Amino acid sequence: MHANKRILWISFSLLMMFTLSAFAALPENEKCMNCHGQREIKSIAGNNVYIDPAKFVATTHAIVGCASCHDRVSSDHPGDGSAPTRATCGDCHGPIFDEYSKSLHGSKARCNDCHNPHDVKLPVIMSGDEINGKCAKCHDTRKTLQNHAKWLPQAELHIDSLLCITCHTGSKDYVITMSIESRQPGSKDVFKSATYEELATLSKMEDIGRLIDLNGDNLVSLEELRVFNHHLRGKNMRLWGMMTPEIVTHSYQILENRWDCSFCHASGPKAMQKSFLAFPQKKGGYTRLAVEKGAILDILYGTPDFYMLGSTRSTPLNIVGALIVIAGLSFPLGHGFFRLLTRKNRKEDDHEA
Amino acid sequence: MKHKEMVYMTPMPVRIWHWLNAFGIVTLCITGLQIRFPDYINIFGAYKAAIRLHNTAGVVVSISYMLWFIYYLVVAKSLLKLYVPTLEDLKSGILRQAYFYFLTYFVGKPNPHHSTPDSKFNPMQNAAYLVIMFILLPLVVLSGALLMYVAPLRELLLLLGGIKMLVGTHFLLACCFTAFLFVHIYLATLGHTPFAHFKPMWNGWEEETVEDTLPTKDK
Ligand code: HEC
Ligand code: HEC
Ligand code: HEC
Ligand code: HEC
Ligand code: HEC
Ligand code: HEC
Ligand code: HEM
Repeated sequence: MHANKRILWISFSLLMMFTLSAFAALPENEKCMNCHGQREIKSIAGNNVYIDPAKFVATTHAIVGCASCHDRVSSDHPGDGSAPTRATCGDCHGPIFDEYSKSLHGSKARCNDCHNPHDVKLPVIMSGDEINGKCAKCHDTRKTLQNHAKWLPQAELHIDSLLCITCHTGSKDYVITMSIESRQPGSKDVFKSATYEELATLSKMEDIGRLIDLNGDNLVSLEELRVFNHHLRGKNMRLWGMMTPEIVTHSYQILENRWDCSFCHASGPKAMQKSFLAFPQKKGGYTRLAVEKGAILDILYGTPDFYMLGSTRSTPLNIVGALIVIAGLSFPLGHGFFRLLTRKNRKEDDHEA
Repeated sequence: MKHKEMVYMTPMPVRIWHWLNAFGIVTLCITGLQIRFPDYINIFGAYKAAIRLHNTAGVVVSISYMLWFIYYLVVAKSLLKLYVPTLEDLKSGILRQAYFYFLTYFVGKPNPHHSTPDSKFNPMQNAAYLVIMFILLPLVVLSGALLMYVAPLRELLLLLGGIKMLVGTHFLLACCFTAFLFVHIYLATLGHTPFAHFKPMWNGWEEETVEDTLPTKDK
């Protein structure tokens, strides 16, 4: 009995040691975070040396551990004034590093200009706003808008609903990612991704996904989406869709085919079937729920505020439209037919339409 | 005996409006088709070209609509007289006209309506033009104008039920115009010769056959 328990315990610990060996770095992190995770360090050594523990823990880099990237920290640190070493991103992200360096942007910005190594995130747990925010640090949004408006119709709308990297990298597999945005207080048309707190107040539940996913099956059905859109009315919120790539690459370039609107607008409704709904998480970042296939194409209430010309047209509406046109066409055809048959009955000049 | 007489039916501003409008609407229908179905229809080459042309034609149609409206309302002062049907028109005129188009026309009976510059349209035309010019055209112009400025007018669009509602309305209206065009052009060929109604729309003068005994109207 006793022996059995011990063997179990030992094998469990061994298992943990192997599978979670990455976590072995964590106590090390703790040591550094004792100082770097305290807000007070800001006033001593500046904002940069403060590392937000909540954000850091959520990254994969937390598993990598401080020591992997800062492998030589002197024992007298920080007293001796010698700066700890820093790994370069290329050490671990070789392929991305190569791809990026070769790209048109390679000489314009370093990895760290776009990524805070202590707050890295997978693209799927970021909102579109957040990703575009990286570019906005250097590319003034207003100026970008002006430059793009020279050739891009409805530039503002495009910049609002597309990631910069959608057009400027070879990223692939586009989907529509929706998120809930709330109107900024005091403004008429400035919307920002709604925060977890805002949505929690709205849903009165811990799991704010249930705000839309009413039956909790982790899939947002079209019906649930419609109900939610009605629910949003008058709440100063809206459901906003952005076209985002599933696979992010760092091959920065000015893609010829993005000049040509048909890359997106002639992709046909089939390309627009897949969509997700992203919710902010309590601890930061986003999770997303899959949305029923075809929601983007729903005639009215699926996504009342998201419409992509040429690609998200609704088939039922097309049928109604076609019927109207056919009705119009059938009059000349029908009337003309009888007109032809009865032409002998009419002598010229006898009548007038 | 009968003799032919020329009547000045359609004043110059109306003709300018009409052909600008006709050309504009046809352009809008075709470019619109490419804009909605770019994966099937490519007439103007680049998608952007279709959009630019569509927007331009939309502006032309809006401006020419204003020309029409102001001319008839302010200069000719006959907007309401020509375009608003009388109670009599609604009660029996439309039926009488429909009866003609669908039945007695084939037998060879004359048109119950006689066009004069003061009463150009038969009751059916009257009703159709009223709907087209006072409801459908303003609506399509308005929805189109909103769609040209989606981002700045977002707030308004949300009030109107969102962009999908607007695009849907715009599309269905466009279908109505296409349907109207088929009927309209066809009906215009029902004069005493197929082109009898096109001539006054082009040079203003309509040729009429009048009984000698009838007093001729002042022009
Ligand atoms: C006793 C508190 C304390 C601990 C523990 C500590 N640091 Fe620091 N660290 C500091 C302070 C204070 C500074 C700012 C020093 C300066 O500006 O000269 C600093 C600076 C740094 C810098 C930036 C140096 C530069 O000038 O660029 C790095 C990198 C760093 N620490 C990494 C670490 C790592 C990794 C650990 C854990 C192994 C760690 N620190 C543990 C207090 C601490
Ligand atoms: C994935 C690698 C990586 C990990 C893990 C990592 N860092 Fe860093 N850290 C860097 C890099 C790279 C820089 C340099 C950033 C720059 O130059 O902008 C840096 C900079 C710093 C700085 C100085 C900030 C500045 O802007 O000068 C401090 C302090 C620091 N790290 C502390 C830590 C602590 C504490 C941990 C663990 C909790 C940690 N780092 C984990 C890569 C890492
Ligand atoms: C010591 C190795 C190491 C270094 C150095 C390193 N990373 Fe990472 N990084 C990882 C690992 C491991 C992952 C998780 C698996 C993956 O995505 O490759 C990761 C993931 C990421 C992610 C995705 C976010 C996530 O949570 O998975 C980003 C973004 C990232 N790293 C950026 C950087 C940047 C920028 C640098 C340079 C400042 C850097 N990394 C340096 C090891 C490293
Ligand atoms: C011009 C800005 C920019 C630069 C420079 C940049 N990245 Fe990124 N990177 C992004 C964006 C945007 C994303 C997608 C959002 C996210 O995950 O942060 C991303 C995503 C990533 C990811 C996660 C990819 C995934 O799908 O798992 C890694 C890893 C990464 N970058 C590493 C790097 C490395 C290494 C460098 C330097 C060689 C670098 N980045 C330079 C903008 C940049
Ligand atoms: C650290 C600053 C910085 C960040 C962050 C940054 N860029 Fe740049 N980028 C530059 C500079 C500098 C240039 C060259 C000057 C210019 O064209 O404005 C440039 C140029 C470009 C160009 C034009 C290249 C050319 O040859 O004409 C594109 C496209 C571009 N950036 C896209 C992006 C995108 C997309 C992002 C966000 C993922 C981004 N940039 C983030 C600094 C930055
Ligand atoms: C619809 C696709 C598209 C989107 C979205 C887009 N761009 Fe561009 N961008 C282009 C194309 C195409 C060019 C080349 C235009 C030219 O050379 O005149 C360009 C040019 C640029 C340039 C270089 C010329 C200049 O204006 O200085 C920069 C920088 C740039 N884009 C940044 C951005 C940023 C930042 C974003 C996100 C806010 C963004 N772009 C979003 C397609 C796009
Ligand atoms: C190629 C397209 C078109 C052709 C060939 C055409 C032809 C004609 C003809 C021959 C007439 C005179 C006969 C009549 O009064 O019924 C006419 C009048 C009229 N048409 Fe058209 N038309 C076209 C497009 C349009 C469009 C798109 C509209 C409105 C949206 C329109 C509205 C009208 C109106 C209101 C009149 C009466 C004008 C007046 O005298 O005040 N037409 N059209």
